[in-house]
Amino acid sequence: MNSILVLVRKDFSLFLRDRTSIVLTFVVPFALIYLMGQVFGVNSSSPGPSGIPVAVVNQSDNPAAARLVDALKAEKTFKVLTQFVNDDKTTRPLAEEDLRPLMRANNFRFALVIPKDVIRVDGIGIHLKTYSNPRNEIEAQTVIGILQKTIFSRVPELLGQSLQARARAYLGDERLDQFNSSVASAVAGAFGGDTSTIKADMSEGELGLRRLGGDDASAPAQGDAGVFSRIVRVDNVQVAGTGVKSPAATLLVGGWAMQFLLFAVTASATALFSERDQGIFQRVLSGPVSRADILWSKFIYGICLGLLQLVVLFFAGHVLYGIEIGGQLGLLVVVCVFAAAACTSFGMLIAAVSPTPESARGIATFVILLMSAVGGAWFPVSFMPEFIQRFSRLTLVYWSVEGFSQVLWARATLAELLPTLGYLALITALVMGVAIWRFRKGRIFE
Amino acid sequence: MTPSAPLLSANGVVKRFGSITALDGVSLDIAPGEFFGLLGPNGAGKSTFMSLVAGLRPLDGGVLTVDGAGVAAGSTKARQALGLVPQHIALYEDLSAEGNLRIFGELYGLHGAALRDRVSHVLEAVQLADRGKDLVKTFSGGMQRRLNLAAALLHKPRLLLCDEPTVGVDPQSRNAIFDYLQELNRAGMTVIYSTHYMEEATRLCSRIGIIDHGRILALGTIDELLTKLPFDEEVRFPATPDTAALAGKLAANGELATVDGIHRFRPKPGFPMSSFYMLTEELGLPPRLFTSQRPTLEALFLQLTGRVLRE
Repeated sequence: MNSILVLVRKDFSLFLRDRTSIVLTFVVPFALIYLMGQVFGVNSSSPGPSGIPVAVVNQSDNPAAARLVDALKAEKTFKVLTQFVNDDKTTRPLAEEDLRPLMRANNFRFALVIPKDVIRVDGIGIHLKTYSNPRNEIEAQTVIGILQKTIFSRVPELLGQSLQARARAYLGDERLDQFNSSVASAVAGAFGGDTSTIKADMSEGELGLRRLGGDDASAPAQGDAGVFSRIVRVDNVQVAGTGVKSPAATLLVGGWAMQFLLFAVTASATALFSERDQGIFQRVLSGPVSRADILWSKFIYGICLGLLQLVVLFFAGHVLYGIEIGGQLGLLVVVCVFAAAACTSFGMLIAAVSPTPESARGIATFVILLMSAVGGAWFPVSFMPEFIQRFSRLTLVYWSVEGFSQVLWARATLAELLPTLGYLALITALVMGVAIWRFRKGRIFE
Repeated sequence: MTPSAPLLSANGVVKRFGSITALDGVSLDIAPGEFFGLLGPNGAGKSTFMSLVAGLRPLDGGVLTVDGAGVAAGSTKARQALGLVPQHIALYEDLSAEGNLRIFGELYGLHGAALRDRVSHVLEAVQLADRGKDLVKTFSGGMQRRLNLAAALLHKPRLLLCDEPTVGVDPQSRNAIFDYLQELNRAGMTVIYSTHYMEEATRLCSRIGIIDHGRILALGTIDELLTKLPFDEEVRFPATPDTAALAGKLAANGELATVDGIHRFRPKPGFPMSSFYMLTEELGLPPRLFTSQRPTLEALFLQLTGRVLRE
């Protein structure tokens, strides 16, 4: 055991003298975690995209159309452009014919035209026109989805006006007026209010939808506060993570930490090649040290380094994003140890199956990136196709990230963690078994 | 063990790598206190033999013991008894000299004051005491070689295995290494020194084994080995038209080889050198053309291992 501890200490001494390794193990993942946290708005008070340029051309004289433009301007997702800047720096309202050349010049990728006939007379609904030059599908769907949400949640009278216009087409002005008078009278009789005011509101399309959605039309649309959430009430009961500040940060920190841990322990394992080539194994093995001692020392060093890295990065996550690790530190350490053991066995396997250090680095880079991607280190596994999700469960990254989430998000107990730890232990045992078998067959110690 | 028992004993040692037989029944004994040279061309089996003695590889046949213990079994006794100076600079270049020595010392169970004392002692011995705190990668090749030797001496081995320990070393460092090895040998340490440099073997070794193709071809002291040469003297003279007639007459009386424009004549037993000099007088060749040399280890080495280039 003394030999193993000496060799572990030797590896740490070498690690601490290698600034590149230290930076790659601690600083780079920390920086990437911070960067990705900013990119994905982790813990932001208003998450989601913001400032997407959208040109708006309002050709309608309907007051609701002007309110729609105001509502879009209030929506943080968009940066609404309504003015065309002439060569002499003077401005004028954007016209529809301006849109194509400006979009081709990449001034913006989306435009909304509110036509004169915004209220359709040939059917129920409103008539809008969009121009798009989507660089990617997700961006296009996001923009169109938020446009729809804003229109229907913030300017619901457009829908009311559409219904009034359709009714007018079927009933005619006189009979519609009688219908509105009857409904206004019935509403005033049942719920109170002034019959003429209610009738005037109905004529303008105000069917009470605004009051369902809130009266402040200028306020940004806020999902559940929208009109449709009032019509269809959904009570969400959160079964895990109640009060946990930052579930996204748990995934972010755990995922990226795992990826860089895999790189770190693989680099450590592939150092076996240089120790062989330098003749150090000859010297060490000619003394009272066995091959098993060397492999055990690498394994223990990998676990210690991984534990250190994961704990440091989760503490960084605590500082950056408020990940709550205090009450779960013990279980977090347990998961970190199992995750680090699995990572280390992977590094040992790479060293065992590779004929040269160069090939080891190549194989490791490919497999680590692949495993990180499908294992959920970069984004949730549930976003992936089903067959990839099945493959995910074969990766140590998946079970490690799952373990981190269980501890930090679901506040799982040790008993609840056991299956995940079991999978990690199984992966470690299998991978390490193959690695040892390959080491015995190979010539790394000769 | 009795004092006369060999410290290292090899009996019919065989080692194969696939279809290649690297050692083919090597047998030799090395007594305590010997400075034994293992001499052979590249690929002769020197390093393979050293690695078997060091317990780095299993034997495929025969018996090999160090201090009475079989090395094939990975005996702790055998491992504690020997120190290996590998052919490579087997050091961690990103650690200091002291850092390296501490690690290797601890692997042999040295700790605390004993370890500190040994580290200081070996650094002093290889003249690196003032560079102990420096990183190995800042050392010259010669300094690294000296430290490579020092690392094998921390646990005071009884048997030191030096596998071509002076490759790429400047003359000053080589001399320092030789002096220190001789000092260690005088103090009682047994040394096995593998090399293909004749002058190293001649200077250092009390007994030499010449190995090639995995077999020991000759074994003994230098004087004993030189008696194996079938001539007592070698005469060299330029291969010119003037000496062509002489060369023609000598061919029947010994071995005549021409290397780089020089004739090398080794008389066969019974051919007196006086006859040779009478021939030169008859042909009117001046004495200054001729140089005479006693048999050398190199001559024996080339005779035994041939002149065909290796590798």
